[in-house]
Amino acid sequence: MSQPRPSHELTVRRQRPEDDEPDRVPLTWALVRRMIGLTDGYRAWRNWLFVLCAGRAIQLPVLAWMLAHIIRGPLAAQDVRGTLAWTAAFVATVILTETTLYWRIRLAHQLGECVLRDLRNRMMGHLLSHPLAFFHARKHGSLISRMIGDIEQMRNGLQNNLFITLVQGGQMIGAALAMLLIQPRLFLVLLAMAPVMWAINRHFRGRILDASRTQQESFSRVTAALAETVQGIRVTQGFAREETNAGIFSRLIYALADNIVRTSRLVALFLPLLELNAQAFLAALIAVGGWMAVSAGGTGVGDLVTFFFLANLFFNPITLIGTQLSEATLSMASAERYFRIVDTAPAWADAPGARPCPELRGAVAFEQVSFAYEEGRTVLHEVSFRAEPGQVIALVGHTGSGKSTVVSLLSKFHLPVSGRVTVDGVDLADIRQQSLRAQMGFVFQSNFLFSGTVADNVRQGKPDATDAEVTAAFAALDCLDLIESLPEGIHTVLSERGRGLSIGQQQLVAFARALIGDPRILVLDEATSAVDTLTEARLQVALTRLLRGRTSFVVAHRLSTIRNADQILVLDHGRLVESGRHAELLAKGGTYARLDAEFSRRGA
Amino acid sequence: MPELAAPRQEDTGRIVRRLAGIAWEYRADCLSLLGLQLLLTGLTVAILALTGAGIDVVRHAVEPAAPVSGLTGWLLGNALGDEPLGACLRLAALILLVAIVRAALSYAYTIRSVRFLHGRVVVGMRARVYTKLQQLSFRFFDANASGSIINRVTADAHSIRLFIEGVVLQVAIISLTLAVCATYMFLTDWRLTLACLSLLPLQVWYAIRFSSRVRPAYEENRRLMDDLVLGFSESIQGVQTVKGLAAEERAKADFARRNEAVRGQKQRVIGEVALFWPVVDGLSQLSLCILLGYGGWLFAQGQLALGTGLVTFAALLQQFAGQVATVATVVDNAQVALTGARRIFEILDTEPGVASRPEARSPGRFLGKVAFEGVSFEYRENNSVLRDISFTANPGERIAIAGATGSGKSALLSLIPRFYDPRSGRVTLDGHDLRDLPLAELRRQVGFVFQDNFLFSNTVAANIAFGHPDADRARIERAARIAGADGFIRELPEGYDSLLGESGVNLSGGQRQRLAIARALLLEPTVLLLDDPTSAIDPETEREILEAMEAAMEGRTTFIVAHRLATLRSADRILVLERGRLAQVGTHDELMAQDGPYRRGILVQTEGAGAP
Repeated sequence: MSQPRPSHELTVRRQRPEDDEPDRVPLTWALVRRMIGLTDGYRAWRNWLFVLCAGRAIQLPVLAWMLAHIIRGPLAAQDVRGTLAWTAAFVATVILTETTLYWRIRLAHQLGECVLRDLRNRMMGHLLSHPLAFFHARKHGSLISRMIGDIEQMRNGLQNNLFITLVQGGQMIGAALAMLLIQPRLFLVLLAMAPVMWAINRHFRGRILDASRTQQESFSRVTAALAETVQGIRVTQGFAREETNAGIFSRLIYALADNIVRTSRLVALFLPLLELNAQAFLAALIAVGGWMAVSAGGTGVGDLVTFFFLANLFFNPITLIGTQLSEATLSMASAERYFRIVDTAPAWADAPGARPCPELRGAVAFEQVSFAYEEGRTVLHEVSFRAEPGQVIALVGHTGSGKSTVVSLLSKFHLPVSGRVTVDGVDLADIRQQSLRAQMGFVFQSNFLFSGTVADNVRQGKPDATDAEVTAAFAALDCLDLIESLPEGIHTVLSERGRGLSIGQQQLVAFARALIGDPRILVLDEATSAVDTLTEARLQVALTRLLRGRTSFVVAHRLSTIRNADQILVLDHGRLVESGRHAELLAKGGTYARLDAEFSRRGA
Repeated sequence: MPELAAPRQEDTGRIVRRLAGIAWEYRADCLSLLGLQLLLTGLTVAILALTGAGIDVVRHAVEPAAPVSGLTGWLLGNALGDEPLGACLRLAALILLVAIVRAALSYAYTIRSVRFLHGRVVVGMRARVYTKLQQLSFRFFDANASGSIINRVTADAHSIRLFIEGVVLQVAIISLTLAVCATYMFLTDWRLTLACLSLLPLQVWYAIRFSSRVRPAYEENRRLMDDLVLGFSESIQGVQTVKGLAAEERAKADFARRNEAVRGQKQRVIGEVALFWPVVDGLSQLSLCILLGYGGWLFAQGQLALGTGLVTFAALLQQFAGQVATVATVVDNAQVALTGARRIFEILDTEPGVASRPEARSPGRFLGKVAFEGVSFEYRENNSVLRDISFTANPGERIAIAGATGSGKSALLSLIPRFYDPRSGRVTLDGHDLRDLPLAELRRQVGFVFQDNFLFSNTVAANIAFGHPDADRARIERAARIAGADGFIRELPEGYDSLLGESGVNLSGGQRQRLAIARALLLEPTVLLLDDPTSAIDPETEREILEAMEAAMEGRTTFIVAHRLATLRSADRILVLERGRLAQVGTHDELMAQDGPYRRGILVQTEGAGAP
């Protein structure tokens, strides 16, 4: 091969952050005001904080000035009593300043924590009010980072960026005013250095930001490679590929180290330059001081001492505010993303007049129901049927024929585009979705299990169920022995999405969870296709008994399931093409007969 | 048990000694860094002293009567000359020069330390942990959440660096700084120095006490926070379940409770946290007051210079305050480093549960005869999964395994590539105990397809060639064709070069399984394991996979977990497992003739027992 050899290595591609959204947004007044508005519930704390910030901005220059004043005044005059008196005043100011600082930090943290909590609760409440389609359109990871990362960043914006900027800015102005009053000419020398500092700041900050972004990307490549190694460890070990992987990983971590060095090269230049600037000011102070001392009527030593102490209060904020403002742009971006989520109204919600669902008998009717996930792509065309209470309804058709859509309309996970779905004659549009689903039970092909014990998971279907009831639910399914053979029986702890149980066992838990609440309507969507034959055999016998008296909708491919249904609905490309009992449909020789032949041939 | 999931409590003393041992290996780098740091601190003090001297020079110019201190006097006499303006300018130039040298050294210091710490210490540790991780047996991965394992390599590997940088070097730097500053101060006036530093022990004590008190609170907070994230993440991933169970209100209440727990816990330590800076800063300011009072008196006595004495002292005390605050960080770092190191050492010390024996030798060619001889196995102690299993599979034979959920089907398969070792009995390949064969070679002989197969974020071709990265395209395509995957791969936007994974194309379950089959076939294994590869598949696409499997099984010893009648019928033999025991063995027809679990299970499929 003339080309470079194809490399089939596990090179992890660059992973973009969740969304193609800017990670920084310039400060805008509207957004800042909205952020500050988040603290409206804690007005008293917030207003006190403003007062405390103003206090700090005054106290710090005052302390520096006092220190200088003592040295140049009573102390230089060798006035011991005066020195002691001023020192006592200094101590008093220190105590006042530190008390202010204590409350400044304390209130800011308190405020920050409360706002954080409120933001989280608000987002959670808002998210759960969205219909399912909202979640299908979003990556799970991006919602997590809204909830955790962005809200944390917003808190930082309020708790730290805002108040620290206020203190630092105020302190800078205070120090500048003090110096201007004491010795304008010396202050002008100082002022000349400020732009240099600002320029250094600007120059480096952007570059450091870029470099750390590259570094971050490099790091996420390391993490992604690791994640794949861990998740795919069975495959890796199975294929004895450890050495290849180690080589790739080693290249990734060396690249990361190089990127870190590149970033630090900038930081290593930036910080000493800032310090150098401050030290250059000291040199200038001596030079100018010397010149003024010699030139007639110049300044005294006193002003040099004062400037020596005050200058830092003027210089330090330049860097600090720079940091805060740059962090604030992160907060702004986070706030924008957060608000975008909570400002999005749910695509639909229960009608204001919707009632709680009455106790159901279980009659279900579809009347000319059409549905489309997106406009123009109708997946269900005017479907009509009736299910009497207690009937078993089988839904049959190829993938994409609309079986699962029927089920989700019936559960009010979606609203029909036209037509109506009724239970016991009541339009679902007039019923609150939660109260409807409280009387329904669901088992899918793969079911989400929560971390916690097996019993905790079953109890999701009936929060106040006792252990005995949970055990009874498994016993009713004729699979108690399979659950009891787990290390801790029903108290076996599951981690991360049901890990620790086989797929079959997870299905059993889902069945128990669906049935423990004694639902009137049961939906089984490929519920047993992941269960092995022997277990399925037992389940089916049990289900025959358990389904009695409940209306059940079953999506399945097993002939046995379909043959015994009270009613078979045959769907094809979103249309209900046939319905009736097995024998009737077979006799018709239509779509169902063809499907039946196909399934039989498969030997299932 | 060779591997442990629960953190083993190694005593802190041993961990510290072990960390210190690692730091000692890097002593040359550490010493050179400290040398640089000594120079840097010296130059910082020099700048402050020179500034103080400058003030004295100016004062001397204005009031020639005022006494001149040792340093200023020496400078005036030797370096600067008596003419005030010239002296000031020369002094200013000197300060600038020192500052520039210092900036250059500081740059060198940072680069050197980053190269050393990130380029060598962290990289070395990560590579070691990663290599080790890949050797660990499945037990380890079964017992630990993937997130926590990832953390060990990313975050915990930093603990060694943190120990060197944040504890060893930092303590040395603090001591150096204090020593250099104190030396200057002692040389100037020892009595004043003692008085000014009298509060230092108090500050250090407070800083240490603070971080050891607040640290556990932070850890508790992190735990509560993990709890919050887990709850939220599950509510979102399982949102359909939450809504299906009409549990939205419960989910919200549960979230609000966890949320408030996080806040409440923070609220309890806010007071302590808010007190830290005011106390540390306040104590330094009090030291200044001592300086003013006592130093003022000394100055009045003519025993202390204004610039090099009072002003420089004041500036040095501010330097001290900064160092004291880092004491709290050091204590923090030490605790973080210890926790991280404990976890890292745990991994490094874990014996790989499954490893090649040193005397393991390759027999050359394999035929594919697999035998189980009295094999018992358990994942966790006293929870037998397989009991006393014996059978022999001849080369080329097709063995189906049937049994209820939890009967040990997957466990049986996982013993063949030695993902686990049996507790008693032995498994042999062509008569060799598996433990006598080189592990890598054994695994290359055994291909497998699981229920759910992990594909990597890489191209289709790279995924198929996973076991043999250098395989050429022709070979990859051949494997894909046998697995019935060639057709759909060619229809992908970039064919074999299409990317899979989050940023790439999404494959259907059936397509993924066929890729997994191709991946297994590429190595042309003698033994093929198919662990119910159709169970997570839409039953309609199942047929495509069955055909691919049929082709794959040709000429190999195959073990297949299945529950489809057609598959079971075509097997040469069926092993029926019941609660870890081999309950029945035979062909489909033989088993159907017996009244046993096999027939009872099969009847449901063929006749239909009633409802779903």
